[in-house]
Amino acid sequence: MLLLAFALAVTILFVVLRVLGNPVFALISVGATDAEIAAAAARLGVDRPIWEQFLSYVGQLLSFDLGQSFTNHLNVGDEIVRRMNVTLPLTLLSFALSVLIAVPVGFFAAWKSRTWYGTAFSAVSQLGGAIPVFWVGILLVAVLSLGWRVFPAGGFPRTDWEDPGAALYALTLPVITIAIVAGSDLARYVRSATLDILGQQYLRAARATGQSFATALWRHGVRNAVVPLISILAIQLSTTFVGAVIIERVFALPGLGDMLLVGIKEQDFPSVQGVLLFSTALVLVLGFIADVLQRIIDPRLRDSLSGNRRVKAVA
Amino acid sequence: MTSRRLTRYLAAPAMASAALLVLAGCASGGSSSSGSGQPDAAAEIVIGSQNEPTNLDQIFGGSSGVTEVFTGNVYEGLFRITDDAEVEPLLAAETEVSDDGLVYTFTLADAAFHSGDPLTADDVKYSLERFVGEDSIAARKNQLKVIDTVEVVDDTTVAVTLSQPSISFTYNLGYVWIVNDEAGELTTSADGTGPYALADYRKGDSITLEVNDDYWGDAPANGGVVYQYYADPTALNNALLTGAVDLVTSQSNPDSLAEFESAGFQIIEGTSTTKELLGLNTRIAPFNDAAVRKALYSAIDREKLLDAIWDGRGELIGSMVPPSEPWYLDLADNNPYDPALAEQLLADAGYADGFTFTIDTPDSGVHSTVAEFLKSELAKVGVTVEINIITDDEWYQKVYTDKNFEATLQGHVNDRDINFYGNPDFYWGYDNADVQTWLAQSEAASTVEEQTELIAKANQQISDDAASVWLYLNPQLRIAAEGVSGVPENGLNSLFYVYDITKA
Repeated sequence: MLLLAFALAVTILFVVLRVLGNPVFALISVGATDAEIAAAAARLGVDRPIWEQFLSYVGQLLSFDLGQSFTNHLNVGDEIVRRMNVTLPLTLLSFALSVLIAVPVGFFAAWKSRTWYGTAFSAVSQLGGAIPVFWVGILLVAVLSLGWRVFPAGGFPRTDWEDPGAALYALTLPVITIAIVAGSDLARYVRSATLDILGQQYLRAARATGQSFATALWRHGVRNAVVPLISILAIQLSTTFVGAVIIERVFALPGLGDMLLVGIKEQDFPSVQGVLLFSTALVLVLGFIADVLQRIIDPRLRDSLSGNRRVKAVA
Repeated sequence: MTSRRLTRYLAAPAMASAALLVLAGCASGGSSSSGSGQPDAAAEIVIGSQNEPTNLDQIFGGSSGVTEVFTGNVYEGLFRITDDAEVEPLLAAETEVSDDGLVYTFTLADAAFHSGDPLTADDVKYSLERFVGEDSIAARKNQLKVIDTVEVVDDTTVAVTLSQPSISFTYNLGYVWIVNDEAGELTTSADGTGPYALADYRKGDSITLEVNDDYWGDAPANGGVVYQYYADPTALNNALLTGAVDLVTSQSNPDSLAEFESAGFQIIEGTSTTKELLGLNTRIAPFNDAAVRKALYSAIDREKLLDAIWDGRGELIGSMVPPSEPWYLDLADNNPYDPALAEQLLADAGYADGFTFTIDTPDSGVHSTVAEFLKSELAKVGVTVEINIITDDEWYQKVYTDKNFEATLQGHVNDRDINFYGNPDFYWGYDNADVQTWLAQSEAASTVEEQTELIAKANQQISDDAASVWLYLNPQLRIAAEGVSGVPENGLNSLFYVYDITKA
């Protein structure tokens, strides 16, 4: 199933890119002759029939080679690894922070759902989830970088993680930005999952046996809430990754998002294919892990087919 | 879903007003200056740019970004083009030209590459042959195709034979890097003879140049240079405002100039070679009629356009030649703004009721704004413009390669590119035998005076014919923090020498 989805992604991506543009035009300048344009196409191999290009590309993939960039001639696999130096910590830190925000907020909003401040909490999280992530970024830069000069407006240390303090400092604002949006989104799931549990018979039954609210919730509620939450978290992690890719541009971070956008602009097929396949694989694997985890926790799921999965992009 | 959309609508104005309030608060804050006033020779200069090279090799489509970083800084040519467009000897210490103007014999300067390998005649032969070779897609390859053979006379002497005389030969050599013939993959590494060596290349982020301590010429005035790249213009401006970069090589958005000026930044304005032009396909009616082209030209208030786009900076031109070139003529009023004249010309050409045409407008830069302006101007004389927005890729395919268009907008950036009008197969198809003869003869001229006179004639003719509609010449705007000096002003064709830049 996983492999089939991946193979489909490989094929669609390959064809779509080649329908959309010609990479030669990103390299030549005004003044180039027809012969030079043809020679450049031959050097990139894009003058061959599309099926021939596809076969050699698949062969390359099977030997775990993502190829070489058309424009900068760097190895795409190595570049992805280098860019993940930025994108991976950015994603994981944002995700961790969004969970830290979402769980208490969501729980509180559900627990106090009948009070005005419970409603206010859920309204704020609704609002947070509805704002485009890049807008939050621009706003925070205006206040915290240009205004108060607390954080840099963008960029990442040229020494990468040699100085972890400097690297973390550079990531702080982007992490907060993504966490605000992703956390608000997640808080709504936590709230509805909690509301679900609070209304369940087994919780009332447990309370009736004399257990305190906290004990009952911990013994019976949490375990039941965790199963749906795992798939939500997996989806949310994928969403955070997409959000990270978008926010990199606002903060001039040299991560995967930058590689993808520049790759698209320069019609650099190997780079674009590499980044998108890597992301696809990541999302598919996360979903798979979530499935497995759920089955371990809840035996009832072991026989059933995998549920419907939905990945939503932060816009 | 509905409630979510509703929240979004409510959120938008609220956040926008919050953002405005914050921005208004920030505008009053100034930039901090480290200011002892004395230039620091060890200071590293951080340069912000949006022009990241696609790769590091000029012959593999490295784009103008690679000229900006490397030419004159990391790699040197046999000649150097100064910021005032003069040609000076660089690696060619001495030059002898045969009487027929066909054989150039260069004696090389005593220089060495960053790898330690000395510069020899073999390197020069390798570099020149590579530049004009089959694989090369260098921007200036065609101008150097006159090179017939390159011969190594001895270790420090090289003789170049041309297939026909070329008076611009030494000028054109100013753009050709001399690379080490033993260097490997130059798309990701570099080995030149310049005052800086490549220290670090982080694609998508930065290029770091360190001072070459063994440089054969004068040592740079700074302690090294970092080019920091920004895909997003706002991110670049923010970096400058927060002191993350010391200067930006090109400011493409005049709207933010006032903010920089009030915050104490220096606005450096030079002349560029970038001409914004409305290219007309002169192969097809009605643009095969010079009167129609002149009518369009006279119908457009270019002064107003320049004001709108560049806030009054930049210049009006009336031909392909900017003032920085020797054959410049003041032709700005040759096809004056005069709507009555435009209507008269159209009527005489049989278009009293006007006509309709399509402008293929690239989606990059200011082109779509310019297109809208032209549409409203031409509507006033009865000509209807349809705007078709295309990507740069589509432009190369549809307009440049297939020549399947009526009119298009393009910023032509190169210096001395009046020569395109001597090629009837060029995308706009301008075909005038006299102009072709003059331009061909000018290249074969034996003196600069003769060359200048011939190109000036071509210059006058294309303007009289309104071969294209030259709208304006872009200003060259750079912004530098307080205390930064030695920034080149003009930067012809993206040249940007960094060795004189200092920071206090």
